[in-house]
Amino acid sequence: MRLNSLAFRLFATATAWTALVLPLAGLLIYSLYRQEAEQSFDDRLRTLLTVVQADSLDHAGTEPGAPKDVGEPLFEINNSGWYWQIRPFDSLLGRRRVSPSLSTFALPSPYEQKIGADALGFRWMDTIGPLGQPLRIAESIYTFGDESTGPQYSYVVAGPRDWRDARVAAFRNRMILSLALAGLGLVAVTLFQVRFGLLPLKQIERGLAAIRSGQAEKLDSNLPAEIEPLQQELNALMQSNQDIIERARTQVGNLAHALKTPLAVITNEARDDKSPFARKVAEQAGIMRDQVTSYLDRARVAARVGSIGRIAEVKPIVEGLQRALERIYRDKGIAIRTTCAGDVRFQGEKQDLEEMLGNILDNACKWARAGVFLTATVADGKADGGRCLTIIVEDDGEGLDAEQRKRLGKRGLRLDESKPGSGLGLSIVADLVQSYRGTLALDASSRGGLSVRLDLPAA
Amino acid sequence: MRALVVEDDRDLNRQLVAALTEAGFAVDTASDGEEGYFLGETEPYDIVILDVGLPKMDGISVLEQWRRAEKKMPVIILTARDRWSDKVAGMDAGADDYMAKPFHMEELLARVRAQVRRASGHAKSEIECGALRLDTKTARVTYDGQPIKLTSHEYRLLAYLLHHNGRVVSRTELVEHLYEQDFDRDSNTIEVFIGRLRKKIPGDLIKTVRGLGYRLSEEPDAA
Repeated sequence: MRLNSLAFRLFATATAWTALVLPLAGLLIYSLYRQEAEQSFDDRLRTLLTVVQADSLDHAGTEPGAPKDVGEPLFEINNSGWYWQIRPFDSLLGRRRVSPSLSTFALPSPYEQKIGADALGFRWMDTIGPLGQPLRIAESIYTFGDESTGPQYSYVVAGPRDWRDARVAAFRNRMILSLALAGLGLVAVTLFQVRFGLLPLKQIERGLAAIRSGQAEKLDSNLPAEIEPLQQELNALMQSNQDIIERARTQVGNLAHALKTPLAVITNEARDDKSPFARKVAEQAGIMRDQVTSYLDRARVAARVGSIGRIAEVKPIVEGLQRALERIYRDKGIAIRTTCAGDVRFQGEKQDLEEMLGNILDNACKWARAGVFLTATVADGKADGGRCLTIIVEDDGEGLDAEQRKRLGKRGLRLDESKPGSGLGLSIVADLVQSYRGTLALDASSRGGLSVRLDLPAA
Repeated sequence: MRALVVEDDRDLNRQLVAALTEAGFAVDTASDGEEGYFLGETEPYDIVILDVGLPKMDGISVLEQWRRAEKKMPVIILTARDRWSDKVAGMDAGADDYMAKPFHMEELLARVRAQVRRASGHAKSEIECGALRLDTKTARVTYDGQPIKLTSHEYRLLAYLLHHNGRVVSRTELVEHLYEQDFDRDSNTIEVFIGRLRKKIPGDLIKTVRGLGYRLSEEPDAA
């Protein structure tokens, strides 16, 4: 997951929110539970205190008696942490009575510590017990006998704070574990959600890659409502791009037609006339013709740069050219032999391949004695991982030496002025090959003539 | 030899007619596809120059319809659209050759002559009959190496007979192939020209095949 990605943004915000909210929620729940636990502990102490006081008064004679049955066996066990104590404030006026668990230890009185009473008349304080255990104490003051003159007794019940705190701690630990698990779960779900939610974008990416490699003409995925318009717009954009290219080509063709006929007229007219003026006109018209042809071809090459997703079957193109050229050169009796499997495909415009092969085959036919040979094969092993279409055209003519081969292909250069043609053939081929990032190589053929090798992207 | 030029550009049309006439052809012209198709369908041409971009009916359609109607005359397509896809389409429609505009008139004429020769079964540019020899490239006729001066009508007649030498050619065929469409066709004029040619060419090469027509042959007259 890259830092600058939609997935990271969604994931990071969701994770940050989880990391912030879960601890806060935990803190809140913990404090509520703690309050509740303290409350219920205090309630229990109050209940016990009420029972101890009532039971003690039930068994009272001249002074409050020891309670017999308060329903809490822990009062009987030594140092259990649960204690009660009944004590007159003036030790001369009565006896101090304590639960068996307390034995000789004296619990302090909150009243004597100047702690005020709550709404129900109970006083509370925390203290330390006989074995150093932390205790919670509840006290109520009772006036024995006459309301105004009778001796005042302090009734105290103590319970172990540990008992309460242990429960709170256990709850806290369980809660932290649960929340941590929930947090992890949330993060995992977020991760899945982000991946799953962004899956359609991957689909578009794959679709575009397929279009670039020519396996598809438009995006055609079943996409969610939010990005379906994006797909439509992309398709429309590519269509309009294609339309612009088509229009440009049509206009290039129209321009060619519009310029070439008048040029033909001027050239022919001037060649009939033998005056110096006519010679000049003929010469200049010739230059114009070459310029027009050259720039129209360049425009055609430029128009197809950026056109994506085109695939051309090689075999029909080769067969069409073979038919046409064997007919054009039938007086010479040229036979064109082709070796091309049916599934060989060129990644690019049909017309471009037709133009390259047409010019190369035409040259080969001009120079051949009787035979022209074309082999088209596809192999793996291009640098960028794509497949490579290799087309080799050979003839059985006289061929060229290394120096001539080097000179060939330069614009307008013809090795033999007597053979018809504008001399642009091979340089147009070179331009086209370059626009497909292919290579064009000339070599001597084992059949005697020239061997022209084209390496182009295959589909 | 009769040629048909179907070209909508008036200047180019005129130039083609002039060049072909000078090369010894009887030339008819049409400036749109429909007229061109009609002429090619009804008249026996020895060569057709057909522009592709034509009003009313494009050249490729014209050609396809001729071929469908079993019209086998050689056709050279003329067009500004010189991409190979256009060439292949033109050749597949039945064209015999293809010229991209702008072109050199000499090259067009060379191709015209080549197509005419091929259609009449001659491989070389020089056609011979005994000591009589026609160089189709220069339109010069020689006998035993000596040039023979001919008027254009005489040349047309002799060239046609030479292209079809050894075969009996009827007067009607000669009239059809030697004169333009709107020419006043009187087959008697053929006899006049035959007479003149016999005077200019020694060796009695032009035979009369009674009731059928004429034959160019170096063999002694069988009749």
